[in-house]
Amino acid sequence: MFIDIMFILSALLTLGGAFGVVASKNIMHACIYLLGSLFGVAGLYATLGADFLAAMQLVVYAGGIIILMLFAIMLTGGHKEAVNKFGLDKIPSMGSVKTFLIGSFSSLIIGSVVLKIIASIINSHDGSGKLPEFSSSVEKIGTLLVTDHVLSFEISSVLLLGALVGAAVISRPRKQ
Amino acid sequence: MNSSIVSFLSEMTNFEFTSLHAFIIFGIACFLMVNVSALIGGLGTYAERKISADLQMRQGPNRVGPFGILQFLADGVKLLLKEIIIPTQADKVLFLISPLLCLAGVFATLAVLPISSGLILTDLNIGILYVLGVSSLVGVGIFLGGYSSNSKWSMLGGMRGAAQIISYEVPVTLCIISIVLMAGGLSMTTLVNEQGGLPHQWYILHNPFAFIGFFVFFIGILAESNRAPFDLPEAESELVSGYHTEYSGMAFSFFALAEYIEVFVLCGISATLYLGGYKVPFELGSGELINSTLGGPEFIGKGIGQLLQLGAFFTKTFLLYYVVIWIRWTLPRLRVDQLVSLCWKYLTPISIINLIGIAAWEWIFKGQSIFNLIASLLHSSGGGGH
Repeated sequence: MFIDIMFILSALLTLGGAFGVVASKNIMHACIYLLGSLFGVAGLYATLGADFLAAMQLVVYAGGIIILMLFAIMLTGGHKEAVNKFGLDKIPSMGSVKTFLIGSFSSLIIGSVVLKIIASIINSHDGSGKLPEFSSSVEKIGTLLVTDHVLSFEISSVLLLGALVGAAVISRPRKQ
Repeated sequence: MNSSIVSFLSEMTNFEFTSLHAFIIFGIACFLMVNVSALIGGLGTYAERKISADLQMRQGPNRVGPFGILQFLADGVKLLLKEIIIPTQADKVLFLISPLLCLAGVFATLAVLPISSGLILTDLNIGILYVLGVSSLVGVGIFLGGYSSNSKWSMLGGMRGAAQIISYEVPVTLCIISIVLMAGGLSMTTLVNEQGGLPHQWYILHNPFAFIGFFVFFIGILAESNRAPFDLPEAESELVSGYHTEYSGMAFSFFALAEYIEVFVLCGISATLYLGGYKVPFELGSGELINSTLGGPEFIGKGIGQLLQLGAFFTKTFLLYYVVIWIRWTLPRLRVDQLVSLCWKYLTPISIINLIGIAAWEWIFKGQSIFNLIASLLHSSGGGGH
């Protein structure tokens, strides 16, 4: 009963926040609506029993991402540059139809090749190694991350390393 | 069942609470907790003024009540009566929301603060992560406070505040992770129960890495709560008053209250993580020893145990609180570049090395503390010893 009420409230917060993000004219207000929406998602996780995910949602999104977004909004000009009489056309979109098509095709091909290679690893898991009963979802996530899902764990760590190297390359002072 | 104030009361009185009872008790406990913490925040301003006066050989507040202890009430009434002036060019909604965000973020952390084994509002099994998550609302509040005032000083203060908070979150989180490694759990009661009552059983003296880690953590929380020497967001000499320059009345006092309560909460958390939390020596906190020596009904022993635990927690927390105020009135403010290089060049690498070191320590010595190792070494080489 209580959990149901909390679930409905979180769902309303998520939806209301998401609507606010789209409907708001002020981009700072939109960011705050997004904060509300992310809190709602954390509430959804918490009411569905994924408490670790809820906490991580708060730490990563509410703590880090929102403040970074606010910073990014602050550092990238104001209204005047974004809005001209052609609307948002003043800022060139990222690529054209051609680049989008090439990008999606190549990602499909690479994805299917990679999946073909790792399919044997994924299918080899016959469920014989039974996992013990866990007392909390944190232990369960930790154990599963380094047993069954170690591939995705490693891939995401490589991705994060790439992001770190990219950030270092971008922010490095250039030699004249 | 999770240990919390409700389950503790149910155990004390041997009474099975229905969900409605539990809800009402929980509501009352939350109400009391928030009010007591607000009182602690208010007394914090008094303590700050008295201690700073002491350090500078002044008198400090001494007119209202005995030793001026009611000064914070007088200030509170004054602030309640003052008008909240909203600048014409301000973003009115955000201007009014941001102090609330600050205060809400701080009050939400009280939910998992382990004051004693019975007096913890709820013992989430992700307690320490929850603290990290909700306390980040304070950073958003400070940033929005600076932005919405539409003033240069506020803007600079808010920017500095947010940058400082998210960058110092890195070493603080790494320190917390290393403690979690030692305790083997994220819930606050696990973190406390893995430590003992006596100082050599605390995590600060568990191994050399944790000893360094405590100081890194303490510097980190000083920066996270925007206390001097890291009070760049409200640097009086450059930014008038930083992110709350344009605030007045209760909106201003919300910011001030949030700062003082946050210092209290963070001191409590560092006492919990490194200094044994509410643990009392010789397991006096559980009340069994008191019961067996004194006799009498069971709840008396338990009650005394709880009081001892409260005493232990508040002693450690207020000692750290004193140190925080002492540092503020002793050290000069850092420059921005010093602040950034301290975080990224010193604290972050040190805390990463600490994390690796603690992981290695746990693996090599099977989680034994340095005192255990010395004791077993002496024991094994015994006989010929002095």
